[in-house]
Amino acid sequence: MVGDNIKRRLKKKGLEEDHGELSYEDTSVRELLTLMKDNSELIADLAYAAIVFENRELAEEVRNLESEMDKMMYQIRLKSMLGARTRESAEQLSGLLQVASAAEQISDAAEDMVKLLYADVDLTPMLPHILSEAEERVYTLKIEQGSDMVGKTLEKLNLESVTGVRVIAIRNKRRWIHGPDGRTTLNANDILIVRTHEKAYEKIWPVAHAEARWKEVIR
Amino acid sequence: MERGDKMKELEEELLEMKNTSELMLDLAYSSLLYHNRDIAEEVFNLEQKVNNLQDSVITKILEDHEEMDPDKNLIFIKMADSIERFADAALDIADVVLRDIDLHPVMKKSLKESDEFMVRKKIKKGSYLDGKTLEESKMATEIGMKVIAIRRGNQWAYGPAKSVKLKHGDLIFARGPLNSESALDKWVG
Repeated sequence: MVGDNIKRRLKKKGLEEDHGELSYEDTSVRELLTLMKDNSELIADLAYAAIVFENRELAEEVRNLESEMDKMMYQIRLKSMLGARTRESAEQLSGLLQVASAAEQISDAAEDMVKLLYADVDLTPMLPHILSEAEERVYTLKIEQGSDMVGKTLEKLNLESVTGVRVIAIRNKRRWIHGPDGRTTLNANDILIVRTHEKAYEKIWPVAHAEARWKEVIR
Repeated sequence: MERGDKMKELEEELLEMKNTSELMLDLAYSSLLYHNRDIAEEVFNLEQKVNNLQDSVITKILEDHEEMDPDKNLIFIKMADSIERFADAALDIADVVLRDIDLHPVMKKSLKESDEFMVRKKIKKGSYLDGKTLEESKMATEIGMKVIAIRRGNQWAYGPAKSVKLKHGDLIFARGPLNSESALDKWVG
């Protein structure tokens, strides 16, 4: 699972043919660290979203991602040890492992946070209320039939760059996609979990609900 | 103090912890990318702030625990604990910069390949951003860029409020989607 994910990312970033410049170990460690960094940011957002929407499916995604992070941590540790040939390189790699391990700690803390959803306590209205006071918050955004966003990939829409709306997860007919990449196509009835400012959300909402055209709203 | 006020204060402190821990993580990765000690030291200061807030949250709960719902107390304490661990992790990242060890060459490459990228840009005189507040600039809502720090001369503003006015000569550190870099380039120059 992790291996596939990394291969997919390597492919996406066109790094497969990079062997000439860097050794195999270097590329792997580098890719692992990038993934761990991205995941550390994503998992905190997912955990807050799970709490705000009291959604156990999102909580499950947090737990899955956490276990992926454990595996990546193991791999990066192993590869770093194999890669250290001098004292200097060992020192540098210890710094790198410190960063990876911090990213892994974030996923542990996020997992503990969503465990609140499994305890027999009622979170509402307290936590959703508190978290909804933040300047940037998480919202759900449903894509309705007839919206200009239907059938487009996130890359094509360039959503975050033109609206400031960051998609952290998508629930489609079959499953959850966390941290969707540019190639993910939006379909009618998808539910997006987004992180953004209130103003940006108000702007995109009518477009998603097929009440306004993309071109009228986006500059 | 009225109970309602106390509750409100608790909520505000928890939210402040969340906001601070997120800023810390952005700053920490940024300090690593630019090997910047100033930013790394700010992460260290902010970690103290998060610790103090956590202490304050727990103290308030202990003072009033008899009148409050134990379940709610538990939620507050657990949330505060998770957030504090986010902050600790950010500090661990910044610590790599503070320890003065040469950064592994792979590290910078990794950070640059990230989905969310960090930029450092100088605002030129007469540019679109020159003289605008962060809110007026619409950086967050139109191109998805979040300013995490501003350096003006020797002064730093970390996690600047939206009312902060940008001036030419300011060095801004921002994070956002890779596709927005060209838009930002036009806005600063």
